[in-house]
Amino acid sequence: MIELPLILLITALLGSILAGLSCSTIGVFVVRMNLVSIGYCMSHAAFAGAAFGLLINVDPMFGAIVFSIATALFLGPLSEKAKLESNVVIGFLFSIMIAFAFIFLNMIPGNAATGAALSILWGSIFMINLNDLFLLVLLSFVMLLFFILFYKELTAMLFHRKLAEASGVNTKMFFFAILFFVGFTVSVSLKLVGGLLVFALIVNPTSTAYQLFFDFKKISLASPFIGVVSCLLGFLVSLEWNLPIGAAIVVVSSLIFAFSILFSPKRKKGKKPLFS
Amino acid sequence: MGAVIELDNVSTIYEGERIPSLHNITLSIDEGEFVAVIGPNGAGKTTLLETINGLLPATSGTVRVFGKNVKTHGLEIRKKIGYVIQNFEIDSLTPFLSKDVVMMGRTGRIGLLRFPNQRDWERVFSNMQLLGIEGFKDRAVGKLSGGEFQKVLIARALTQEPDVLLLDEPFANLDVSSRKRVSDLLTTLNIERSLTMVFVSHDINAIPEACTRTIVLDQGRIVCQGELETVLSSSIVQQLWQRGKKHD
Repeated sequence: MIELPLILLITALLGSILAGLSCSTIGVFVVRMNLVSIGYCMSHAAFAGAAFGLLINVDPMFGAIVFSIATALFLGPLSEKAKLESNVVIGFLFSIMIAFAFIFLNMIPGNAATGAALSILWGSIFMINLNDLFLLVLLSFVMLLFFILFYKELTAMLFHRKLAEASGVNTKMFFFAILFFVGFTVSVSLKLVGGLLVFALIVNPTSTAYQLFFDFKKISLASPFIGVVSCLLGFLVSLEWNLPIGAAIVVVSSLIFAFSILFSPKRKKGKKPLFS
Repeated sequence: MGAVIELDNVSTIYEGERIPSLHNITLSIDEGEFVAVIGPNGAGKTTLLETINGLLPATSGTVRVFGKNVKTHGLEIRKKIGYVIQNFEIDSLTPFLSKDVVMMGRTGRIGLLRFPNQRDWERVFSNMQLLGIEGFKDRAVGKLSGGEFQKVLIARALTQEPDVLLLDEPFANLDVSSRKRVSDLLTTLNIERSLTMVFVSHDINAIPEACTRTIVLDQGRIVCQGELETVLSSSIVQQLWQRGKKHD
């Protein structure tokens, strides 16, 4: 097992808990609204942003955050204006972001920068610092507050957007807010889980919760809990077997999801569901 | 009683279409009126309802509800308009309980940054009881039959405590006794609470007796309106039915 200095251990643990909490909280919306591929899109936007940061000599993480959030903010109005499914717009943005990333990397002299840009895609526990923790705390707090304060509007929209609009809910505003939170969550979780794997942390815990409960309230509570547990277990596995933390977290959360499918009370016939 | 719904020369064209789904509609509905809108498939009945509540923006003309322009006050107006949507398909794993879906109708009424209170929940359960679905309050909506879910949607619209109720084929999926129950309930609401209602159906037999005016739509235009019996005996409507039979 890898032995880490105490401060690094605490920072990494807190980072894991907060990343698990924020990713799997926003996952509740992403899964229900069929925005699963948004994770791919955001992570590639982050990659392009990191490459751009390196090109103009600023922190690649800053570039990654700006590009992810800009993508999120662009995605909503574009899909609304063009009357396109979000997934169609995501597909379009996904390819254009990868193209940008290659162009930016190609413009940087030498190969050293490529490694730095790629580290955004893999993620590393050693990259987490106090500033990142502060951002994660801020994000988790704001997102939970948003979720609690607008719970009834959000659930009405998640049930059926048109009906929510018909009841006097400004669904466009909430849709854009959700996309913004997805972009922000992906950006600040990049260092820990990595851009390529962050969407799994968004989707897996929520998908697990969906297997277990029929009540959205319970799903909303269970998803962050499963997300935090996945991150902590992944963190331990990563230390124990010297594996990349992002990959370990994703494997753990995927295993939990696989077990939830096997033992889902929703799939039992003739028996009263355990968690109805 | 004053008009609560006013359409002045309204046309609605869907994006990418050239022919309007609603064509120069001028219509006024007074407070407490119970209006039935009938017509063949594709006549523009649903478009009319969604133009009234502003879900579909009118391409030309003016829509005013409660004296306010829907284009500029849509959100505020929709808080007071109940809407029972047509052909709502639902995934069997949809993770929302019936009582929560009914409560969602009150979202706009309760307002931002406020939470449902005891009175809101009492209204939810009382409307579920009126529709005979109080036994399903803790069941996931995806597990309900089509008829049960239709009643949840009706209870949802009533729980909004609307000043205007728009019903798009509300009897779809309902059995005979449920139709009677819902029809009686709508009649009571119209008479006792003077609730303004616009009821859309393609089935003449589904129109409740309390209906005060019947409007016939065809190809996006109002072709006839008046009391139900007068409308049904008019030559235009007779021709429409004959045309419908030929198509069948």
